[in-house]
Amino acid sequence: MSASAEVVVACLAPADQRPEVDPLSGEVVVNDAMASLSAADAAALEYALRAGEAWGARVMAVAAGGASVVPALREAASLGAEVLRVPLPSAHDSLHGPRRCEGTELAGDPGVVTAVLSSAIRASGTPALVVCGDRSSLSGAGAVPAMLAHHLGAAQALGLVAMEFESGGVVLGQRRLDGGWRERIRLTAPAVCSVEAAGVRLRRASLNAALAAASVQVPIASSSATAAAAAAGAAGAARVHAGAPRFYRPRTKVIPPPAGGTHERILSLTGALVQREPPRVVGPVAPAEAARELLEFLRRAGVEVGQAGDAGG
Amino acid sequence: MVDAVVVGAGPAGSAAALALARAGRSVILLERGPFPGSKNLYGGVVYARVLDGVIPRWWEEVPVQRWVVRRSTMVLTETQSLSVDMRTSSWGDAPYNGMTVYRADFDQWLAGHAVAAGANLVTSTVATGLIWDGSGRVVGVKTDRPDGNIRAQVVIACDGVNSFLAKEAGLLPQADAAHHTLGVKEVLSLPAETIDERFGLGPDEGLDIEMVGVTRGIPGGGFLYTNRDTVSLGVVVSLKGLADAKVRPEELIADLKAHPTIAPWLRGATLKEYGAHLIPEGGYDTMPPLTADGLMVAGDAAGMTLAAGIWLEGVNFAIGAGLAAGKAATDAIAAGDTTTAGLAGYRRALESNFVLKDHQRLRRAPGLVLSQRMQGPYPKLMCDVAERMFTVTNPEPKPGLVLLLRRAAKEQGVRWRDLVRDGIETIRVFR
Ligand SMILES: Cc1cc2nc3c(=O)[nH]c(=O)nc-3n(C[C@H](O)[C@H](O)[C@H](O)COP(=O)(O)OP(=O)(O)OC[C@H]3O[C@@H](n4cnc5c(N)ncnc54)[C@H](O)[C@@H]3O)c2cc1C
Repeated sequence: MSASAEVVVACLAPADQRPEVDPLSGEVVVNDAMASLSAADAAALEYALRAGEAWGARVMAVAAGGASVVPALREAASLGAEVLRVPLPSAHDSLHGPRRCEGTELAGDPGVVTAVLSSAIRASGTPALVVCGDRSSLSGAGAVPAMLAHHLGAAQALGLVAMEFESGGVVLGQRRLDGGWRERIRLTAPAVCSVEAAGVRLRRASLNAALAAASVQVPIASSSATAAAAAAGAAGAARVHAGAPRFYRPRTKVIPPPAGGTHERILSLTGALVQREPPRVVGPVAPAEAARELLEFLRRAGVEVGQAGDAGG
Repeated sequence: MVDAVVVGAGPAGSAAALALARAGRSVILLERGPFPGSKNLYGGVVYARVLDGVIPRWWEEVPVQRWVVRRSTMVLTETQSLSVDMRTSSWGDAPYNGMTVYRADFDQWLAGHAVAAGANLVTSTVATGLIWDGSGRVVGVKTDRPDGNIRAQVVIACDGVNSFLAKEAGLLPQADAAHHTLGVKEVLSLPAETIDERFGLGPDEGLDIEMVGVTRGIPGGGFLYTNRDTVSLGVVVSLKGLADAKVRPEELIADLKAHPTIAPWLRGATLKEYGAHLIPEGGYDTMPPLTADGLMVAGDAAGMTLAAGIWLEGVNFAIGAGLAAGKAATDAIAAGDTTTAGLAGYRRALESNFVLKDHQRLRRAPGLVLSQRMQGPYPKLMCDVAERMFTVTNPEPKPGLVLLLRRAAKEQGVRWRDLVRDGIETIRVFR
């Protein structure tokens, strides 16, 4: 397929990157006025721009939230992206100073965020590719990219560490596996990918672009459409029942009451004065001799092992 | 080509940009941090009277932590402390004398005023050098952005202590450890009500303590300022003294926190932040020339922090200098002469306001405050005299002050002659 004339979207979640956390109460204080792009979001924007260049597609940076997301969108504009702010029903419309936050409020409801984002993205064109940071830096669960893929009926690849773009809307992604391995993923547009901030070299806006960005008017997605989408998203989210967190309390395990006096109990717990094989210093001996000693010991301890001669190899 | 480019959106830079923008001049304000104030460190108190004529009723909008209603100067030894403690309710009412603020908030607020007046703020951008024309005149700055050269009629270097621009222009020496001190600071969390209770403050009221004698004899001093729910505690010490004493600055702060006077105030406090920064402490005599052809230097870049024992003020001096630089640049641009001669109004303005007047009057204060006797035996001597004065010794009769002073001087190995001479010198310096 040709991705030209389509749109590549970077979904950004600008937030205070250094929220204060009370070490005792766990209370979080965020300052909306300090909202900026996380490293993962900056990487997402960079990959979206690269995809746009590779496919000759428009690049659009979208962020859901109040006025606090505007500076980050202007930064995206200075790099050449079109920008769109998508209001959230609960978003603060003006810049706030420091405010205390409940944990659940921090990253927003992923169902609602996804619904408003996907509705705004669809209204702007058919996305060939949507790139997101792997999670919002404010305790996000990383659910939005997957839910977006579902809403947009797109393929998904999450938590990528590198992306390359081939003609025909092909995305080659890499994912980290255990033991230093990498998984290579090949997707065809339409796709939603989320990326970690892993070694991508970010471009910098030219001075003139940075200066011009200060006066960029950031358009706002139509509020009636997003409100409807938010309501639908909230209703969808309601299907998943999330109760209040409760402490995990393991089942009571009944064990017999202790028998005997304190002295006996200490002896039985520590294993002191019990008949045991005293330690024996063996060696230094040759490896074969050492192996034989070891096998003999295991046999005495009741472990089933073959004859000493079997230990070759 | 813009009228002016201001490097550094600290208090000096934002004030300069504000003055230029208000005068209708095109001005670019460059800041290397992601936002103004993100890279700055200071103690905590701002004396903002200088803003009265610039932002009417600034106190109604400034992001304040606490209004300072109590100021103390404290002399400490390992086991004693002696304070001159001033408290007045009038400082707790508008137009306020001083306030504690966080720089991230304050610098953003002041830069916001410059932007609202029409300055173009560009963040995450480092000025990497000056652009010169063939005749050795500064005509702009280079930045680390692609296509990042900016040509301007005037460059105002407000890039703080260690100003690379002032160094490149030959106004500041490349290295100058002798006239710099190191400020190190911890921010410690305490609930706001605990701060109110322990320091005897109302909900918005703040305390500012300057200290002498807390630095193991290394020339310098200490400070403690109360914010809403944190306390800033730090020391300011001579670089050379620190190196010679082979002491790490954290050890000095640890001493301070363990001092019998300070420790009870901080019980249960948790460490939130630690930082260190240079301070230009040479004062008037070590200030560089403030202008060159096409270039002006303001704030810490020109060594304008007033560090004179009972004062540690830099932000107000930076704002005062920035405003004066902005106005002088405006006049010079209007007159079509931005050479050193055309920019001379800057120095004249500073000489007629508090910035250079205070520095000139207190020019000998840094030397006096950091002198060996002020830092060494005097704190002990003063504490001993006070302790003996307040110790009731009856049935022995009460000793006179002069006798106590003589005894303490003898014990501390201070000659009476030096004591009298230093007393007279102190009066002269602070007259
Ligand atoms: C520990 C300590 C305690 C202090 N306590 C107090 C106090 O309680 N009260 C007080 O009034 N003063 C205090 N001061 C002094 C005060 O911090 C300074 O005097 C004041 O910040 C000077 O303002 P400025 O605008 O000149 O420089 P700065 O505040 O240093 O601002 C310089 C700005 O320039 C930017 N910059 C630097 N180089 C470049 C570049 N190449 N390109 C772009 N941007 C650049 C920096 O990021 C910074 O934002 C203290 C200082 C220290 C270190």
